[in-house]
Amino acid sequence: MNKELEHQFVTELENNQNIVHKVCSLYTDDRDSHNDLFQEITIQLWKAYPKFRGDSKFSTWMYRVALNTAITLYRKSKRRPKTRDYDSVIYKISAEEYDPTEEQQLKLMYSAIKQLGDIDKALVFLYLEDKNYSEIAETLGITEVNARVKMNRIKTKLRTIINP
Amino acid sequence: MMDELELLKKDWQKREEHLPKLSFEQIYKMIWKKSSSLVRWIFYISIIEFTLPHLLYLIPSVREQGNFEFARRLGIEGWMVAITVVQYSVAIYFIYQFYKRYREISVLDDAGKLMQRIFRTRRTVKHYVIFCLSMVLLIFALFIVGMALDDNLVATLDLHGKAEQMDPQRLKLIVIGVVAILGVLFTAFMGLIYFLLYGLLTRRLKRNYWELKRMEA
Repeated sequence: MNKELEHQFVTELENNQNIVHKVCSLYTDDRDSHNDLFQEITIQLWKAYPKFRGDSKFSTWMYRVALNTAITLYRKSKRRPKTRDYDSVIYKISAEEYDPTEEQQLKLMYSAIKQLGDIDKALVFLYLEDKNYSEIAETLGITEVNARVKMNRIKTKLRTIINP
Repeated sequence: MMDELELLKKDWQKREEHLPKLSFEQIYKMIWKKSSSLVRWIFYISIIEFTLPHLLYLIPSVREQGNFEFARRLGIEGWMVAITVVQYSVAIYFIYQFYKRYREISVLDDAGKLMQRIFRTRRTVKHYVIFCLSMVLLIFALFIVGMALDDNLVATLDLHGKAEQMDPQRLKLIVIGVVAILGVLFTAFMGLIYFLLYGLLTRRLKRNYWELKRMEA
């Protein structure tokens, strides 16, 4: 693989790294695992890059590879203690930005999402990223109807968590 | 109702500014690192499972004074050669199948298909291991038949001391019993190691796969 391709790939990834970071923050609990998963996704993206034809946007293509890596290929290291010292989803929010109840609700929802199964997380992630159901279905390999049904169930579940 | 979820969506998109930011150099370094993905692990373990039984034959003591010499004395040498030939041909077939399926695994497939392909690849190795374990049992069975048909087991086994004074019929039963138990234990032990390794490795994958399947049900 030539230098030009490397340069092109790294630049594209650098510009779109947010997508990968968001996936990592959903699927890992501490900074080391976050970096671990980021690295694995990068390797998988790079391996698949020669097959990227440019017929879709680089970012669209990244969602699939990143999620596939997170839910299928990534092997969580068992050696690490499962402490949540780095709660990457619940970033520090400046208190003045939100009213307290709203902030509380958001916190509850984020921690509920963290506890979902790998596949449900993928659904929520794509939903939060404003993907439509046909894209969600296509990424996961399920039918659009089922993606919708499942997402509705997750929504109900999240609502009951914040409004018991 | 409005939607806490819309709120969440907005908040989620706002959070981008708090995400970590890696530099070009940091990312560049990453693309040269080795993958430690599940598929790679499956690949390595499968290679070990394919080669290990055959590597055993390379150990001189196994090859020279081992099974074949004993088989010759029992008169089942022809069978042993046949089994070995079958074993190697089947191994080559399985390795070819495994490689073909391994190449089919693509991170660009949808999640369901990707998982299915990984399972299919792994299943090839599983079938091979089951085949090998059956062969081990078959070889033990062959020895048992050989010993049962042997008229002078004491001489064949080159036994001395007490064994020579024992009732030949009883001795035969004891030897056959021991070999049978050893055969079953050995196979079970190999099977246990294999299934533990395989089970632990793919536990998470299986859970996610069934989660997807359940959605489609």
